Amino acid sequence: MNSSVIAEAVRDGAPVVKSVRVQALTLTSFRNYERASLTFRTEGAALLGDNGHGKTNLLEAIYYLELFRSARGARDRDLVRFGDAGFHVVAELDGSPRGALRIAAGYDAATQKKKVSVDNVEVTRLSDAIGAVPAVLFSPADVALVRGAPAERRRFLDVMLALADRGYLLALQRYRQALAQRNAALRALNGHARDAESLDAVAAFEPALADAGAIMLTKRHAWAADAAPAYADTLDAIGERTSVSLSLKRSAAGKVDDSEMAAWLRTTFAAQRAHDVRRGTTHTGPHRDEVQLLLDGRDLRSFGSNGQQRSAAIALRMLEARTLHSALGTAPLLLLDDPFAELDADRSARILGLLGSRGLGQVVLAVPRIEDIPRALTGLQTVRVHQGTLRPDA
Amino acid sequence: MSAIDELASELARLPGIGRKTAMRLTYHLLKQPAAQCLRLADALVGLTERVRQCEVCYNLTEAPRCPICSDPRRDVTTICAVEEAADIGAIERAAEFRGVYHVLGGRISPLDGVGPGDLTIAALVSRVQRGAVTEVILATNPSMEGEATAIHLQRQLVPTGVRITRIARGLPVGGDLEYADSVTIAQALSARREMA
Repeated sequence: MNSSVIAEAVRDGAPVVKSVRVQALTLTSFRNYERASLTFRTEGAALLGDNGHGKTNLLEAIYYLELFRSARGARDRDLVRFGDAGFHVVAELDGSPRGALRIAAGYDAATQKKKVSVDNVEVTRLSDAIGAVPAVLFSPADVALVRGAPAERRRFLDVMLALADRGYLLALQRYRQALAQRNAALRALNGHARDAESLDAVAAFEPALADAGAIMLTKRHAWAADAAPAYADTLDAIGERTSVSLSLKRSAAGKVDDSEMAAWLRTTFAAQRAHDVRRGTTHTGPHRDEVQLLLDGRDLRSFGSNGQQRSAAIALRMLEARTLHSALGTAPLLLLDDPFAELDADRSARILGLLGSRGLGQVVLAVPRIEDIPRALTGLQTVRVHQGTLRPDA
Repeated sequence: MSAIDELASELARLPGIGRKTAMRLTYHLLKQPAAQCLRLADALVGLTERVRQCEVCYNLTEAPRCPICSDPRRDVTTICAVEEAADIGAIERAAEFRGVYHVLGGRISPLDGVGPGDLTIAALVSRVQRGAVTEVILATNPSMEGEATAIHLQRQLVPTGVRITRIARGLPVGGDLEYADSVTIAQALSARREMA
């Protein structure tokens, strides 16, 4: 039992599952890296090094190529190595669901311009490049998914569904644009509508908001119907004895398809218009809907123990990996930033076993010491991270 | 500020012209005979002094009425509403439309501080109310803001009873499906037509 899944895969020769793999990565002026390159083996790598030497930064750089945004919510200019003019990250890929072989992102601090290219062709729309490197990042900071504000869980949902489904990404982008316009129109009213006509600019963006919002809600609910039981099973399999349930606070109960949902949203936005004017913002809609996590019927956010919250957060990431895997037909890259530090060996072994149950993709693990590598991942090549330099062990 | 700097910084305000190009243009002009510079200056003065908005449709013109509004062969029962005067040129080049225009002067974009009141919407509605108009074609851009403007126009025009149409969106003629972006393809599919 608990033998190394990696070792088995390596022994059997070929990769066991269709997956996206980073073959080589080069960072320039990214965080604490002046310039560093790393060639990855098929199964991935284990990054070893003391904290503060750049393990998380390396994972952040890989993840950057998925969304072209920092996983830690940092601004682009804060990713630039201190004193440098900009950063550049480039990866050679294999098995990308979008067929990309090389993906690069650069940022120039002086002009605040971001440049992304796929196979050496600069993309005009960032959304055309998003998702070429599907990856799931497990990090100790994930506990904020459970403990943090509703916005954290909404972002989780939006990012995951946008990567799994291009239609969701496009709807999300249109929704955000319409929302920004409607909110700007509301702000311009300064809390009160002088006359009916002054509401016209607010109302003009409601159809776009409703149409895009309806697509989002339909897709979210379809996901939740499938994800809720899977989530409970996952927590059970990890060894959580209490039952945690995941659900979307249903803002449109009973509305089944896009057009019904859109009609309902249009009515809602119109009905809330006067109220929104007083608040100066759009206060209902998919951008305010909650992903609820309940522990035996009570809010896990306030009633869960540290351990329960941590397991619940890990299970959310596992759900993300599962969702991407089934939507893309490709195992996503797993970026594991010392996620099991506070879990016992049995539990982390079970988590890795579950992650690998449909075949493990490439794994990049970051841990302080070689002893911290979970048994299931001992087959990974070790790479020493020291003050922004990378040295693979022979 | 020196005359050179003054011109260069004015040129640098123009779209697509950066600081370096502005300097290059300035030095280029300095090398030309004075008469040529003066012709450019005259052209600029003429532009500001002579060009104004058509009193009917807000197109750019040098007469009180633009050439299209004063052309008796144009069909005044059909009005095509566009965001900018430059859009008229694009539609005219297609030589398909024989009606008249209405220039809105932009699109509703609260983020840019542009509301319905900043556009020539009231003028359009009163043109329609004066009668004779049977159809208004909403030819604002297929962007979110253009769409919102069209929706707003529709609401304003419905009480007049005029026929309101929206230009179609979809694949460009002679285009390649493979190179079209997914939003366009989705639009083209949802607005597909029965083959007669």
